Amino acid sequence: MTGLHADGFPEAAVRARARRGTAEVFPAAGSYGSRLFGAGAGTPDAGAAPHGPGDGLDRARLVPPVFMPRRLEKLIDLGREPLHDDVDLRTALGGFTSELPLYLSAFGSTRAGSGDLAIAASRQAARLGIPMVIGENMVPVHGYRGGAERSALLARIAAYVAEVPDGVGGLVVQQSTEDADGEVWNLLYSDPATRPLLDSGRLAFELKTGQGAKPGLGGMTVVGRAEAAALAGRFAVRDVLGATEESDESGEPDESAGSGGSGTSPAPGTSPLLLRCATPGTFTQEILRQQIRFMRNNYPRARTWVKFHPGRDVAEAAAVAWAAGADAVTVDGAEGGTGWAPLVLMDAAGLDLAECLRRIGRPAGCLLASGRMWEGGRAVKALTLGATAVGLGRAALLAVDEDPDNGLVRLVAALALEARLLISALGQYRAADVGPDDVWWSDGSAAPAAPTAPGVTR
Amino acid sequence: MLDLAHTEMPLPAADPAPAVPPLGEHLRSPELRSAMLVQQEALHAARTYLREQGFTELLPPLVGPVTDPGGRGAKALDVDYYGRPYKLMTSAILYKQASLRGFPRMFYIAPNVRVEPAETAGTGRHLVEFHQIDVEMAGASREDVQQIAAGLLRRVVAHVWQQVPEELTRLGRRAEDFAGLLAGGFGRRTHAEAVERLSELGHRQSPDAEIDWAGERLLSLAADRPFFIDDYPKGSRGFYDREDPERPGVLRNFDLIADGGFGELVSGSERESQYAALVTRMRESGENPAKYAWYLDLAREGLPASAGFGMGVQRLVRFLTGLDALWQVSAYPKLPGVIAP
Repeated sequence: MTGLHADGFPEAAVRARARRGTAEVFPAAGSYGSRLFGAGAGTPDAGAAPHGPGDGLDRARLVPPVFMPRRLEKLIDLGREPLHDDVDLRTALGGFTSELPLYLSAFGSTRAGSGDLAIAASRQAARLGIPMVIGENMVPVHGYRGGAERSALLARIAAYVAEVPDGVGGLVVQQSTEDADGEVWNLLYSDPATRPLLDSGRLAFELKTGQGAKPGLGGMTVVGRAEAAALAGRFAVRDVLGATEESDESGEPDESAGSGGSGTSPAPGTSPLLLRCATPGTFTQEILRQQIRFMRNNYPRARTWVKFHPGRDVAEAAAVAWAAGADAVTVDGAEGGTGWAPLVLMDAAGLDLAECLRRIGRPAGCLLASGRMWEGGRAVKALTLGATAVGLGRAALLAVDEDPDNGLVRLVAALALEARLLISALGQYRAADVGPDDVWWSDGSAAPAAPTAPGVTR
Repeated sequence: MLDLAHTEMPLPAADPAPAVPPLGEHLRSPELRSAMLVQQEALHAARTYLREQGFTELLPPLVGPVTDPGGRGAKALDVDYYGRPYKLMTSAILYKQASLRGFPRMFYIAPNVRVEPAETAGTGRHLVEFHQIDVEMAGASREDVQQIAAGLLRRVVAHVWQQVPEELTRLGRRAEDFAGLLAGGFGRRTHAEAVERLSELGHRQSPDAEIDWAGERLLSLAADRPFFIDDYPKGSRGFYDREDPERPGVLRNFDLIADGGFGELVSGSERESQYAALVTRMRESGENPAKYAWYLDLAREGLPASAGFGMGVQRLVRFLTGLDALWQVSAYPKLPGVIAP
């Protein structure tokens, strides 16, 4: 363990799952026969959210019907009564095949997201046969080839390629405006290291327009003075963090430390830690459409993914992306984010994931959702609201921090078991078959899915 | 609504890289010798023709803070320039536009380096190091430079047949192979028409992208003389190709495709020269305008409107000689993805 923390996230429950896997899906087996259970005795922290009493997804309930025609179909198919084990979670996802309706979200270039933890997560995601997204700004920050050692980006790719089974999974690489200067996609597209993925149709590039935790802003990290000097000219670096109490020997606080500069401000020009800002990039409908076409034209053998922050026009943006040929659209709810972000943005900006999904309505293509995913309930609720799959970000980092060899594999085993239990309870046997009828809000706060956004010109 | 997300485009397969002989053996081959004699005459004819048309030859820059961002996955090589990240020229298009201030009709015979994706090694039409006859003309329209490109090609063909017919015949070329070309009147179709024609031929081609290699070959094989493809869609070309003000999304650009399966010889366009349009188009192609500062500063001051093109020297020589692959017409071939001296 590295001392990684995630305030406002059900960290203890995630760590427990990383240790004990599916055992955490149920009450302690030893208490059977001696304790009574009911509503309110569910997964610890499952309803805890950083933004008050749970977000829209947490407030929703999955509502199994009594009559289940699909269960009858499955019964006929199997010649016996179906069980939750009979739920097929294999999912076509953004041009790839995934063993589960899951992918590993981008971690960004923060220290937590680009060191050994990220490599451990890459290895385990590969073993699970799920796609992995690598975040932006890794090349401008860490370089491409690296020096004597392999760069963070190539190390993660190598870890993934070494363990991914044939025919499943896939690698997705983001490129920001700053990355474009480093031509990350071009480097990867012509690199022999990625050739096996390219040849097997398992390489995608993701155009990132923003992120959940700080919609409308670019990537931010905290850097020491020496690193700041090296990044000058490529990133804006600002002296606004004062003397940070939680810094460690490497001069960089945990991405989740959450107490942005609590010490007394030192004299200007002397604070040890600085804020590095990447630009968010400028998008209009036409810029988005053309960038997607450009990607498809320039990288015909790679898949094209697009990631949006939880913008109020996310439905319109998703419709433009699908119409321009995006193989997947990812929506990162305001709950999301492994990256460093200003507190006010986390507290006060962006739509929650449930509202993003509600605004998008019935998706016109593959829709991926991320934002505080870690257990089966939120995941299946997102699927009922139109998502094809959900992304694990902070939960994956915490799980590999707990156990770098099997933490993520165990966390996912628990999530997959819950998903099978829930989907079979809904009378369905494929992840893609759940729908808006399967979810309910007691306060009626989320209307059923709206049609795809009108007014998108092509 | 056409839903491209669900129109499954097959991912193109990669051709295997051909076996190229060791450099010493290649340099002694009679085919290369013939090809170099043809190339020498072709360049002589090109220079003569362009000078007659009032063009001035400049020598091109080799490195710069930015270069043509290009497309189709080709990468620029980095150079450490006194601590600054510079690029080796993938094409000197930005410098051509800048040069018009002093040289309203100019050309280079320019070396370019593009680290093409390894999958292009087997197309027969890609080399990492290649040369272009790079022409730019202030105040010109697309049609004006197409006329120059067609005249240039005709002059080169006529000249090599006059000067070194024995080299061409030794390589299996016949005069009738160029009868259509020399008779004049190149064909012309739009990108949309080319896509439609390919669809009739059973080849699936994205309407938003460059014509792919296989598609271009099909169209080239079906022709009896070179032809232009006009009006490529935005998103398939660089930010400097001018968008048609009357038809948003359509570029005032073109390719000149050789007949006989030899494919693209020339790419050209009217150029975007307005500052705000350039910045917007840079964003649309995913570029960071900040790194083009020197060029955008010139655009703010005012770049002349222009049109121009680049004719690939090795592609031209391959077409003239009828040889199969570009490596056969380059003295020092570097195939994509293949480590070579």
